[in-house]
Amino acid sequence: MNAIFTVIFLVSAAALAITAPQNFLPSLLKGGEKALTMAVTLFCIYAVWMGLARLAEKSGLSKAAAKALKPACGKIFKTHNESALESIAMNLSCNLLGIGGAATPYAVKAIGELEKDENTFAQKLLFIINATSVQVVPTTVIALRTGAGSANAADIFLPSLLATAFSTLFAAAIYMAGYKKWRF
Amino acid sequence: MALLIPVLFIAVFGFALFKKVKIYDEFSAGASDALKFVVKLIPCLAAVFMMCELFEVSALSDKLTELLSPVFSFFGIPPELTKLVLIKPFSGSGSLAYLNGIIEKYGADSYIARCASVCFGSSETVFYISAVYFAGLKPKKLAAPIIIVMISAFLTTVLSCFLCRFM
Repeated sequence: MNAIFTVIFLVSAAALAITAPQNFLPSLLKGGEKALTMAVTLFCIYAVWMGLARLAEKSGLSKAAAKALKPACGKIFKTHNESALESIAMNLSCNLLGIGGAATPYAVKAIGELEKDENTFAQKLLFIINATSVQVVPTTVIALRTGAGSANAADIFLPSLLATAFSTLFAAAIYMAGYKKWRF
Repeated sequence: MALLIPVLFIAVFGFALFKKVKIYDEFSAGASDALKFVVKLIPCLAAVFMMCELFEVSALSDKLTELLSPVFSFFGIPPELTKLVLIKPFSGSGSLAYLNGIIEKYGADSYIARCASVCFGSSETVFYISAVYFAGLKPKKLAAPIIIVMISAFLTTVLSCFLCRFM
């Protein structure tokens, strides 16, 4: 991201310096203003979902969900490491609910646990599952569309579900097949 | 479909009540975590939005879109999504900025905005995730997983645009 930011910033600045230097500072300030508006919108979204997630966590609902996912996870990730499995299950549950922010710490914990067993297969598989996104409820997108006055903000639910299921299954299947053949 | 979200909330609140959780305290504690998270995000958002703004105003973004549009159109991806698709693997806040821009510009219920929403929701910031997940561990060969994820993300974008045509 550092390289991209620097390149795009410098090239755009140079182009503006030639064509319309008086627009340079105003557009930077406008960017800052937009960032703040966006932050307010995001806070509203996360306040709702992280509040709910906290209730689910405190009432033991998240743990129960994690427990239900554990046996299946053990088979898929080829591991018997209990604490790694619990973190994996929590990571997947958070992802499914569309709270990616809450999912990341669990993934990092699981990967650290798997490092002890030198189970790179499970580490990379977890990375692939997270990097292809596995949301059932695209909370951020729905909230943004509601804010912009959509008539039915949740109508992207079905195409989103199909697309996200495809991306994860496709990538995981290719990786598993590749792992069997070439051990990457 | 609209029913799902209130039902989810009622179920979780009901269960928490049953488990004697202090609902107001815990819900606010969750919201407070949200505030901390967003406050941490603001500087990145500011930097990225400034970059996006410069990129737009300098007309470079139009040039890039023009250049890549034929390729994207060939796969059925509307050219308006070019920038979103390109920035998504690198930056969550950057792609969020573009998604928000698309929704505002074309209207939340337009085909373009719906496509953008589905694309945004079905992929992740690959490079950011790979950096965070494997930070501080023994170096791993991540090239193959990253390439697999990128290919899958591109195919998913094509699929999303196709699905949004009739869903």
